[in-house]
Amino acid sequence: MERRSLLKGAAGSALAVSVAGFSAQALAQQGKKILVIASGQDIPNFDPHVATGYSASMLLRNTYDGLVRVEGNPPKVMPHLAASWTVSPDGLEYVFKLDPAARFHDGSPVTANAVAYSFRRTLRLAKGNAWMIAGVVDPAGIEATDVQTVRFKLLKPFAPFLAVLPWQFIVNPVLLETNKGTDDGQEYLRKNLAGSGRFKVKRNEPGNLYELERVATPWKPGGNLDGAIWKIVRETSSQRLMLARGDAHIAVDLTSEDMDALKDRPGVVRILEPEFRTFSIKMNTQHGPLADVNLRKAVSHAFNYKAMLDAAGYAELMVGPLPPGLMSDPKLKVPRTDLEAAKAYLAKSKYAGGGVKLTMVYVTGLEQQRQWGLVLLDSLKKIGIELEIKPMVWPDMVASTKTPATTADFFPVYQTGNYADPDNVAYAAYHSSRNGNWQNPVYKNPKVDALIEKGRGEIDAKKRAAIYREFQQTVVDDAPDIFGVLEKRRIAMRDTVQGFSFTPVASNAIDLQKLSLK
Amino acid sequence: MLAYVLRRIALLVPVLLGLSMMVFAIGRLLPGDPVMLAAGPNATAQEIAALSAEFGLDQPLVVQYGRYLGGLLKGDWGRSLQTRGPVLDDLRVYLPATLELVFAAMAVAIVAGILLGLTAAVWRNSWIDYLVRLLSLASISMPRFFLGLLLQLVFAMWLGWAALGGRFPLTGSPPPVVTGMLTLDSLWAGDMSALLLALQHLALPALAMSLSPLATITRMMRASTLEVLQQDYVLTARALGIPPGKLLFKHVLRNALSSTLTVIGLYFGWLLGGTVLVETVFDWPGVGLYATKSILTQDFMPVMGVVLCIGTMFVLFNLVIDLLYGVINPKVQLT
Repeated sequence: MERRSLLKGAAGSALAVSVAGFSAQALAQQGKKILVIASGQDIPNFDPHVATGYSASMLLRNTYDGLVRVEGNPPKVMPHLAASWTVSPDGLEYVFKLDPAARFHDGSPVTANAVAYSFRRTLRLAKGNAWMIAGVVDPAGIEATDVQTVRFKLLKPFAPFLAVLPWQFIVNPVLLETNKGTDDGQEYLRKNLAGSGRFKVKRNEPGNLYELERVATPWKPGGNLDGAIWKIVRETSSQRLMLARGDAHIAVDLTSEDMDALKDRPGVVRILEPEFRTFSIKMNTQHGPLADVNLRKAVSHAFNYKAMLDAAGYAELMVGPLPPGLMSDPKLKVPRTDLEAAKAYLAKSKYAGGGVKLTMVYVTGLEQQRQWGLVLLDSLKKIGIELEIKPMVWPDMVASTKTPATTADFFPVYQTGNYADPDNVAYAAYHSSRNGNWQNPVYKNPKVDALIEKGRGEIDAKKRAAIYREFQQTVVDDAPDIFGVLEKRRIAMRDTVQGFSFTPVASNAIDLQKLSLK
Repeated sequence: MLAYVLRRIALLVPVLLGLSMMVFAIGRLLPGDPVMLAAGPNATAQEIAALSAEFGLDQPLVVQYGRYLGGLLKGDWGRSLQTRGPVLDDLRVYLPATLELVFAAMAVAIVAGILLGLTAAVWRNSWIDYLVRLLSLASISMPRFFLGLLLQLVFAMWLGWAALGGRFPLTGSPPPVVTGMLTLDSLWAGDMSALLLALQHLALPALAMSLSPLATITRMMRASTLEVLQQDYVLTARALGIPPGKLLFKHVLRNALSSTLTVIGLYFGWLLGGTVLVETVFDWPGVGLYATKSILTQDFMPVMGVVLCIGTMFVLFNLVIDLLYGVINPKVQLT
């Protein structure tokens, strides 16, 4: 290349750069309806039966389809691949009629066989979201009765069955069989799609961005988006800047401080909604002083809930183990700060003479957890209990929950709702089968186990509500946790985004189906 | 010379073997349980055991290490527990981004550092010298992530001259991948528009990375130049009427460079392993972030891969520096 033409090219390019800019605004100038979402989480794997995490959920719910979708607040199960369904009176048989319009990206129809194939693969791999249907759906109990009808005979009644279905994605069996390899297609689906969703992956840059583009003829009508970019922005302050500048349309990982900074900012809409995500401080009910229920109750009453709420930013206090909207009992009485009651329970415990020293661990770097630890330290001092607060890296904290002896006295846990049903929180956080893992390291009560199992098996809504009322009261009586806060989901978006409706399940895994850009 | 180079490259084998053993042992001695973490909170004990077996982590440590070394010989660097993909695939994506950043930062640091050091030494104790020394001190004292944030604020937010983060505009089409370094790939494709966009994104992170080595190189260069300027042969050359420019660049610079070269070699290695903060601030998808994420999830294989990569490059950079000693100073014999 000659020097003169090189210089000409450079000058022209500089002009182009200054005009083009770097942003979502530039996309708009090009006439494309491409939504830019700033998020802190990468999407390491595209396999719908392996990947987990909200970023993967975002990609999967927009590139694959489930039999049903979840939307609205309170969340409702809506038809999707399944145009309609019936449930047998005993709750054991579900028959789904597929939408005949549904098509995979290669144009082939989504059939009942594809549904059966996908569920069997999920159960075979036993990864990703398989835990939602394991022990409930039997591979032999899935039958394609005709091209567009699929029948599930469950092993036992499972009330949340419809609620877990939005997260069971259907793959194209022909494509997967062609690329099955030796690992059931896992290597293929790690980077490739075999779905029927409204979008497919256009650009895949791990650690940087993922660009989705709308398929030429989506089988289901939706918003006007031509595509979307999931841009990985690790610093929340950078997400805020991008949103403020118009470089991003939606930011999903903002802090309370970021939300404050965006208040009254022209062109920005803030979403601050309670979500099914709880924060509680679990107590070691199996080992050490907190195995004594009266000491646990003393702690629960000594704790300064107001200070916790003040440090939490946009949040509300939990009222028992279940978040509002998930059959929580509005009449439930839970411990609140009451030093006299705390002292009375302490007197009834084996530790009335004092001299108790307890330990709390928290995730290194999570300042809010450290602050809540300090609130606990200050609260316990008032009833003569010493507290040591130890930071730990998350893998070490997870490993420490393997046995009651290695679990700390206090173990703080955020619990995200994966599906809109009380069973999700109840089973994960309080069923003894989860012991030895961080969601419920040690708590074990046969009565609670029985209530949880009864609750998930009961299909009559009124009877279920009664079961969960009893479950909540039993858990509160047992005081396994300091019931903490429900942090509100903090999402901000440009006012050009239309069609967004908040759903308190996986709300940061943005559903693009109905979104449009002005 | 060739024998020397081959011998140094052969030395890589024990270095990397030692490194891999050390990292492997440290990874396994840590108290966490990466399989439990990767399997997720809802995994049953059987699912955790199955995942452990799938990755061969249920085998004795010696067997695991032997398999890892055997795999390396066949080009298999193991698989990540988190992404479930081959580590080599990940390195191919992340390493070029970091190399591009480090090369750009070092290019700025070397050119500017040498020139500033020479200038400060020639005009010793003048206002230029004081200014250079002050700036060096400030540059070396300022944390890189903070400097990055400042640069973002001034050049991206206020002036709008550079990009806030990332390697390429969301809107743009990056050049076809050849090296993975966008500036080189743009040149390779003859796409000057893409080159400018890539440079616009590279400028701020490279500047943030460069200031610390720049300051050290400047101070080193100043000190060694001052020392050389006091040598008798410089006085003789001056007396013989050699023009100052020729004297400085032909005689003084070459002699003063030797000790600075050592620092340059060390900084290459140091920067390669120390990009994470700048990568975080500028959302630069490099190997620093990849390594950090892997360390925090105790994902052993990516950590091993990153350490071996950086170790290899550190050795190779220093080999190049050693060879340059001979080029710059003929008195240095490489045998």
